[in-house]
Amino acid sequence: MAISKDEAVEKARRDLARRLNVDASTIKQQSVEDSDFPDMALGAAEDGEMSGQMITSGWRIRLGADGKNFEYRADKNQVRLYKYKGKNYRI
Amino acid sequence: MNRNNFLIHLALAIVLILIAAFAGQLNRWRKQWRSSVRVIPAAEKKRASTTEEVALAEARALGRPEVLVKFKPGVSLETIDELTAGFNDRVEDRIENVPGLESIDDLDNADPAEIVAQYSALPEVEYAEPNFEIELDAATETINAPLPPIHPSDPRFDDQWALANSGQRGGKQGADISAMHAWLTTTGSDKVVVAVLDSGVDYTHEDLAPNMWKRPASVAPYHDDQLGTIEDEDGFNAIDNESDPMDENGHGTHCAGIIGAEGGNNIGITGVNWKIRIMPLKFMNAGGFGTTKDAIEAINYVIDRKKAGVNVRIISASWGSTQRSRALEEVIRKAYENDILFVAAAGNATTNNDRSPHYPSNYPNVLSVAALDRNDALAKFSNYGVKSVAIAAPGVDILSTWLGNAYEEKSGTSMATPVVSGVAALIVAENPRITVEQLKKRLLASVDPLPALKSKTATGGRINAAKALR
Repeated sequence: MAISKDEAVEKARRDLARRLNVDASTIKQQSVEDSDFPDMALGAAEDGEMSGQMITSGWRIRLGADGKNFEYRADKNQVRLYKYKGKNYRI
Repeated sequence: MNRNNFLIHLALAIVLILIAAFAGQLNRWRKQWRSSVRVIPAAEKKRASTTEEVALAEARALGRPEVLVKFKPGVSLETIDELTAGFNDRVEDRIENVPGLESIDDLDNADPAEIVAQYSALPEVEYAEPNFEIELDAATETINAPLPPIHPSDPRFDDQWALANSGQRGGKQGADISAMHAWLTTTGSDKVVVAVLDSGVDYTHEDLAPNMWKRPASVAPYHDDQLGTIEDEDGFNAIDNESDPMDENGHGTHCAGIIGAEGGNNIGITGVNWKIRIMPLKFMNAGGFGTTKDAIEAINYVIDRKKAGVNVRIISASWGSTQRSRALEEVIRKAYENDILFVAAAGNATTNNDRSPHYPSNYPNVLSVAALDRNDALAKFSNYGVKSVAIAAPGVDILSTWLGNAYEEKSGTSMATPVVSGVAALIVAENPRITVEQLKKRLLASVDPLPALKSKTATGGRINAAKALR
């Protein structure tokens, strides 16, 4: 089922709260921008993952917590955390 | 008559004969000059926009009999003479082998178009037409000249700048793969199988269905010791290890359409190949991503089918990542050893693959493809690499097939890759016995050099399908 922009933001917020072990209400939404990503893994492929090399439209979601910034990438099919402690994660 | 009178008369006769002879020669010279020097008023020629109009202008300028008129059967010669005399014309010649056909000269030197109109209006006339000039030299030139390029009947063809760039939407005329000239040699063959290793293919799409591969009855179902026997009538699904490779994303369907949407069927778009067999392989899911392991499974399937007698010569791989896998590299090498060319996307990170490798495009035995825009510039997203990226092809705003009998424009080295795979398939169609090594060399030698690609790719050029088939 297709994910909307609002659902993607909410999914990202919940994921970050879980990872940081904080209340989701403390997560600040810094920006949500329409963006084109270089591939179908939104430029955030996990280890061992291959993706279609097609420019893919989605949203770049920037969140803040504990004085740090975090980037999520999403489209209608998926939400991904970009370079969290050096690695990418598909949520 | 005395001797003096006789000599005077003889001299006069000789003078008269010489004058007559000279006048005759003058007339012949005049006629020769008029038939060899074609002086057509520029204004007239400029106005003439159709072949017929040009012929009329030429007829006027040359003083040739202006019109050919075919009178209906039963119209007598006397009636014809009366009708022509009524227009102050004359029958210049009667074409005996075609009763009723007359070559008519207008003595007023009127506009041939008017003469044609006059005669066409007569109830006695079947048709009238201007006297077209047929030039031997021109005819010879026509025979020796290249045939006109083939323009398919598919309604969206004019949106496919990659195949024929007329400058549409701000593009550069001729910045294409010369498909229309390539099709003079071949439009593909249903004997050639290309594996589209991707998210599967919507094999029910109306523009793809006739070109989809079906396992021949002579080839046994796929058997794998671990997976068991799979009834692979329509291809292979490596995600679920089953036979159905239906696309749930659209990416694989798009790539398949570029290679081989049926051409000349008055539907949608034209593939690089009008006729082909597309073997759909699914290893990427509805999101457009998949695992290295499933890619390996699918390549293993292709090699197995090749050994079983399927003429699969190309694997088109519009996917990748920056992670190296020796196992993937190994199975691609096996495919190459089995005469299967592996064509892969160079990637869309705007990076130099010589320094930051992208896989599988960076593996040996792989033809790596960069993307070009409609102005023959390297696409702003495309990876490059003079050592690691072999060739470039159109990859921006590429119209192709999509899920549900739809068509969409997409961009990426994903779109450039099937262009090259498609050209490779055309080469195989024309040269069925070509080896994979020869095929690779042929592709690399078939580029139009582009300044934008100097020091960006190994060949420095855009693939040219017409050159590839010479």
